[in-house]
Amino acid sequence: MSAATESVNPATPGRAAGQATNQAAGRAVAEPRKKYSRTKRSPLASVAIHATLIAASFIAIFPIVWVALTSLKTKDGQWAHPGDFSHLNFGNYSQVLNDTDFLTWFRNSLIVSLGTMALAVFIAATCGYAVSRMRFPGFRATMWLLLVVQMFPIAVLIVPLYNIMSKLHLVNSFGGLILVYCTTAVPYCAWMLKGYFDTIPIDIDEAGKVDGLSPFGTFWRLVLPLARPGLAVTAFYSFLTAWAEVAFANTFMQSSDKYTLAVGLRTFVSQYKGEWGLMTAASVLIAIPAGVMFLLVQRNLVAGLTSGSAKG
Amino acid sequence: MRPLKSLGRSFEKYWYGWAMAAPVVIVMLVLVGYPFIWGAYLSTTNADESNIGHDIGVNHIPPSYHSVGLHNYWDILSGNDGHFYSTLTWTLIWTFVNVFFHITIGLGLAVLLNRKIRFRGGYRLMLILPWAVPGFVAAFAWRLLYNDNGVFNAVLKYFGMHGVQWLAQPTSAKIAVIAVNVWMGVPFMMVSFLGGLQTIPKELYEAAEMDGATAWQRFRMVTLPGLRPVMMTVTLLGVIWTFNKFDVIFLVTEGGPAGSTDILVTHAYQVAFANIRQYAEAASYGVVILSMLLVFATVYRRSQAKLEVQA
Amino acid sequence: MRRSKAAKRGASIAAIAALALAASACSSSKSGGSASGSAAKDPASVKGTVTWWDTSDATNEAPNYQPIIKAFEAKYPNIKVNYVNVPFSDAEDKFKTAAQSGSGAPDVLRADVGWTPAFAQLGYLQPLDGTPALADDSDYMAGPYASDHYNGKIYGVPQVTDTLSLLYNKDLLAKAGITTPPKTWDELKTDSLQIKAKTGADGTFLDAASYYLLPFIYGEGGDIIDASAKKITVNDATALKAVGIAQDLVKSGAAVTDVTKDGYNNMQTAFKDGKVAMVVNGPWSTADDLKGSAFGNADNLGVATVPAGSVKAGAPVGGHNLVVYAGSKNLDASYLFIAYLNDAQNQATIAAKNNVLPTRTSAYSDPQVANNKILSAFQGPLKNAVGRPPVAGASDLFTPLDTDYQAILGGQKSPQAALNDAATQFAQILPGFSKS
Repeated sequence: MSAATESVNPATPGRAAGQATNQAAGRAVAEPRKKYSRTKRSPLASVAIHATLIAASFIAIFPIVWVALTSLKTKDGQWAHPGDFSHLNFGNYSQVLNDTDFLTWFRNSLIVSLGTMALAVFIAATCGYAVSRMRFPGFRATMWLLLVVQMFPIAVLIVPLYNIMSKLHLVNSFGGLILVYCTTAVPYCAWMLKGYFDTIPIDIDEAGKVDGLSPFGTFWRLVLPLARPGLAVTAFYSFLTAWAEVAFANTFMQSSDKYTLAVGLRTFVSQYKGEWGLMTAASVLIAIPAGVMFLLVQRNLVAGLTSGSAKG
Repeated sequence: MRPLKSLGRSFEKYWYGWAMAAPVVIVMLVLVGYPFIWGAYLSTTNADESNIGHDIGVNHIPPSYHSVGLHNYWDILSGNDGHFYSTLTWTLIWTFVNVFFHITIGLGLAVLLNRKIRFRGGYRLMLILPWAVPGFVAAFAWRLLYNDNGVFNAVLKYFGMHGVQWLAQPTSAKIAVIAVNVWMGVPFMMVSFLGGLQTIPKELYEAAEMDGATAWQRFRMVTLPGLRPVMMTVTLLGVIWTFNKFDVIFLVTEGGPAGSTDILVTHAYQVAFANIRQYAEAASYGVVILSMLLVFATVYRRSQAKLEVQA
Repeated sequence: MRRSKAAKRGASIAAIAALALAASACSSSKSGGSASGSAAKDPASVKGTVTWWDTSDATNEAPNYQPIIKAFEAKYPNIKVNYVNVPFSDAEDKFKTAAQSGSGAPDVLRADVGWTPAFAQLGYLQPLDGTPALADDSDYMAGPYASDHYNGKIYGVPQVTDTLSLLYNKDLLAKAGITTPPKTWDELKTDSLQIKAKTGADGTFLDAASYYLLPFIYGEGGDIIDASAKKITVNDATALKAVGIAQDLVKSGAAVTDVTKDGYNNMQTAFKDGKVAMVVNGPWSTADDLKGSAFGNADNLGVATVPAGSVKAGAPVGGHNLVVYAGSKNLDASYLFIAYLNDAQNQATIAAKNNVLPTRTSAYSDPQVANNKILSAFQGPLKNAVGRPPVAGASDLFTPLDTDYQAILGGQKSPQAALNDAATQFAQILPGFSKS
């Protein structure tokens, strides 16, 4: 399921890395330690490295740059002339903002993504803590549940969910879509938060116990504040997943005032209509805030992703 | 059966654990468990749009589907539906090729970026960008590039060659969608590997170098083993995500030409929501796909665990 | 194989029909749902918001509906119209999804003539008999109106009708030394190759959708199904020959095609830019054509009857109906809106502005229509148009046929194998039909 596509399993034990470290330590003891001097890279190697990275970077940014360029082409059908750079202006942007439902879709995407994020993190936090700290009957089953649900392909749930939501009159409503997104966001958030709670020293909990706090009090007053960065990253991921989801949104949202961006954008380029000018302008308008936010938090994202395998 | 007394004691002991895990468990049972069971039930019927039943204004149509046992599964697994095995084969190729390139390119770039080089931050920023763009935006961007009147053909024509209808032939369309997905997926792998590389102690490299190991040997003997935990996780995730990757196929080719780029999930979606809606058959496809993933995940975890024990 | 589905569908048709009948008899108990209630007696008192899903072209056609909507709202101050443009290609799926779930469906839908009986069969549409929506219905042309009748009830009114014709770039034909547009597929092939050789532009762009295959099949005197004999004829010798003609056009280089989902758009782009001389398309596309650089002078766009096969020249009757969702909470307002939107005056206005063909006989005497060159040019092709089989599942046949036709044009399947596959799938969609 695509909602699971960004999910990350941060809880893989780093046993192999640990073993390697032990071996290294052994060897360091066995041999007297020399001063570390890395062989200097030859200029040729440097050129090769830079050439590779430049080529890779070019491939990475070219589609994005091309979309931005195309979005400035305003003459009818000009997108179909890749070499034609006349008439560059922001006409498509004003058309997208003024004459289409783009802003409504943007708002809808925000509502659904923020709703999913808040609900999923709220529900998942205690569970993540419970499976991180406590061993209770049903613990293994819970862990198994969290893992397996992330594997659910969209095809398993979409038909029954559609039929159930139809009966509850939750199709074409934000609430319905948020609930649907929670099917993947909740287990994924719980799983990811477990990884973060694992990295918080157990001493904290014991200090709480000594102070007479209940397990829940310990969690709420001591652990949760410490896990704030983890919560933020988890929240951001669940936001991103909901933001980019296509299949459910396409099935559940039927009227233009409820479309999310992923659904709305499709209407610009359908089988009998190729408004690539509008499409590219809208793409840029979506990608800029998404990209800026992403780049702002990406350092933390990286730390979050690897914390499991590094500290396991 | 446990005696009541010990149940009471265990309740006291585990009360907090249960209470704190309960919200997620309950939500999962309601949002996933119930639909899943309902879907599994549907898969044993002949439900479709005309007999699922509905009340619309003056039209009250009661459900009239009935059980057909395992007919739908037999239909799929025997190849009678005419799509399953061809779609499965392509899905496996799609998954393997994608994950292979994600990992090799991601690992290669991570190793390069892990060195002390100039403009490292700049490269990193550019290379991570495809991840920052929402998937549906990227899919549309590539569709524009692949268009007959797109930039790829413009370049070909500039060099005096004929344009190619990239998405019109099964082979080129398959290569095209794989290229899109590789483009989208490499940054995640690169970032994960970069994180993994940073956890490998420098001393290991020093030691290897003192032993006279070449760069390749250092990579094989130090880097790869050090990355194994990350590798195991991202391979598992990569396989599951790619197997279930809906948006690239759906938005770039919609399975075309003539269904040749449909993977199992997009095919199941088409069965459920395009033309005549075959809910039961789509639900069966869902169960079949999930079973395959579960088997894969179990086998994979077991084999990795064994490998770790051996190492 | 989906044999079980077919059987069940047949059974449910009768059930739905019976239920719809029973339900409509007692519908007056429902507030606002009275079949000929307040809308007929006192239109000014009707309140509500009518959500209308329009499937016309969002940039070229849709804006022309706005003045009519404004005028309607001025006439009925208590009714608001919520205009929503839904891309034609998505509308069928979207409406089905919304209609079944009971949430998000519009009150009024502009439905393709092929969808109307299928939606009626599924119980998604409100019968309009005896409502103001059918005002002056004796004025409707019989052909288009037939698509609104299902099981003895009327489920919509025809808004526009259309057919396919040969559209051509007069300049390019003249440059290639061709004075009259081709009258047969053979001539089209020769002319196309001549255009390619003399002007460098491609001769013909064939849309790879199976709807555009129909003129080839009709040209040989065939059809995809024979409704009266309950036979599937898509893989008979006639159809095979017709597909062979289309395939030969592409193979010989006379025609180009594009089997991707951007195919239609690429056809339009090429035609508008003067990169291709001829296309087979309907009147709805001309508003878009005229925006292209090749048709800066509108007279450069030629319209002719589709080329003939060995038997005749024929193209399918298309068009759109206005239908009402059975679950609408604003039935009375919807009836009034349809009646207003589809009166002779407004039909003529829309027809003239959007270059689409009206369905009311009286609209043709309106000067706006009578003086429109393109509409006049389509009169000829319309005379040769072939009605679609009056079978509820008929519009569902195009989806499997699309896939197979594309496989033929793409060279992945032989015509016989592909058409046999289509026939197999037709048999599943149409219970009771036999394969030939």
